[in-house]
Amino acid sequence: MMKQSISAELLKLRHSRIGLVLVVLPSISLMIGCANFYLNQGVLENGWYSLWTQVCIFYGEFFLPILIAICCSYVCRLEHLNRNWNMILTSPVSVASVFFAKLLVVSILILFTQAFFLGLYWLAGTLFSLPGHFPVETIGWSVRGWYATLSISALQLAISLRIRSFATPIGICLCAVFIGLGMYTANLGIFFPFSLLTIGMSALNQDQLTNIQNILFWVANLFFIIIFASISIRRLKKKDILSS
Amino acid sequence: MNTSAIVQTQNLTKKHGSINSVNKVDLYVQEGEIYGFLGPNGAGKTTTLKMLLGLIKPSEGTINIFGESLNKRRSTILQRTGSLIESPSYYGHLTGLENMRVMQRLRNVPDKNIHEVLRIVRLENQKDKKAEQYSLGMKQRLGIAMALLAFPKLLILDEPTNGLDPAGIGEIRELIKSLPARYGITVLLSSHMLSEIDQIATSVGIISDGNLLFQGSMESLRKKGRSAIRLKTGDNTKAEELLLTQGYSLTKGGSRLEFDNLADREVAEINRLLVEHYIPVTRIEEQKKSLEDIFLELTGKERSL
Repeated sequence: MMKQSISAELLKLRHSRIGLVLVVLPSISLMIGCANFYLNQGVLENGWYSLWTQVCIFYGEFFLPILIAICCSYVCRLEHLNRNWNMILTSPVSVASVFFAKLLVVSILILFTQAFFLGLYWLAGTLFSLPGHFPVETIGWSVRGWYATLSISALQLAISLRIRSFATPIGICLCAVFIGLGMYTANLGIFFPFSLLTIGMSALNQDQLTNIQNILFWVANLFFIIIFASISIRRLKKKDILSS
Repeated sequence: MNTSAIVQTQNLTKKHGSINSVNKVDLYVQEGEIYGFLGPNGAGKTTTLKMLLGLIKPSEGTINIFGESLNKRRSTILQRTGSLIESPSYYGHLTGLENMRVMQRLRNVPDKNIHEVLRIVRLENQKDKKAEQYSLGMKQRLGIAMALLAFPKLLILDEPTNGLDPAGIGEIRELIKSLPARYGITVLLSSHMLSEIDQIATSVGIISDGNLLFQGSMESLRKKGRSAIRLKTGDNTKAEELLLTQGYSLTKGGSRLEFDNLADREVAEINRLLVEHYIPVTRIEEQKKSLEDIFLELTGKERSL
């Protein structure tokens, strides 16, 4: 059943322009980060790692969350239009599989973006002829960051399923980004999905996580995913499908 | 419970605030029927159909489809049910064929079904065009094709001829009529147009303000439209007296004498009696109640259909 939903969901991405957004936003954030790095080369003496901090501040803190919100709004908008909920929810697939198919599709898109961003980072570092090798840790950070995006995706999907507008959930996401920064600096990052992304990507702090922190990070994300998924699925099951 | 009941609801009610938009409806659709669900706009047709599909949750009552409870066996029931509710659903950025493929993946049906249903609704030549560029009629055909894709046991169509031109309406009508015999599909369709139901349906349910006012075969509805014979004579009072003594029961006296359910033989007999008693017969008319009259009588309003 899950397989049916996922393959249907992937098919809906054909001819869509979401791919363009997935390429443009990381590129812009990388360029801003690189410009910052270039202008402040005097203070930034840590080579590859300094470049990571610069590009990641823009990408991990702002552009990536917004990108997630756009993807979530997009996959929900597909169903909000033309009363497509009627079609999806009268199909012989479970409501849960509909939700998880959407979550999975968004996560695949974001995984692609992470890989693309990492490639851009490598390219930029090489062009700057930074000393030393490409830091392999960044691959781990990107994967860990991707894991953290899952809880943001689950939250944004929950919002976009509820709000038919495309832009409003993205606006909410933007507010959440700032709350996330606040929570992170207050050392409460573990309790908020958007701060978890900062921790996961090692965007602001490249120190290794302690074992406890690591476990908390994985558990907290899993917790958020389960919570937001069950809220959405429950809602889809219980609420009447509005048509307008 | 009757085994041939494809759809059976009991006491089905949907409350919107204090208003019951669907009120204690007991729907009964038998296998192989084309059941026409008729009612003015806003009577509760779409709400009822959406409840049958689980899109809207009933406030009260039970729904059984294929003899199984919708609450418990939603997935199995939907597997064997095709539907088109309100306006057709489609992904505008995908072509007609790709839209069918989305449905195919959700329902796990073979490729040949796609080609067959596209042929049936005559969209084969437009299948590579984006759905957003389709005309309203083509979107409607696409919606019907998607509903038919799995050749379901039960097909629920909400106003299926909406947006079609007259030729298209005729074509879809013939298609729907052929479904029970050709594919063993039971059809439940709604319409606000009496003439349409009259031409397609074998059974009919009439709903108004959320209440099911009539349910039964199309035949039994037509029987309600029995004809009346009206007489005008030179002396109605005398004629009335005479006919009463002869055991005829009038439904209406006065300037026109009216009789219900008269056989031709009886009409001739009445005429002979009157003439023999030197009462001049000036008019013998047959007054037939149209389905429209019956419908208006049932719903109690002179509302546009």
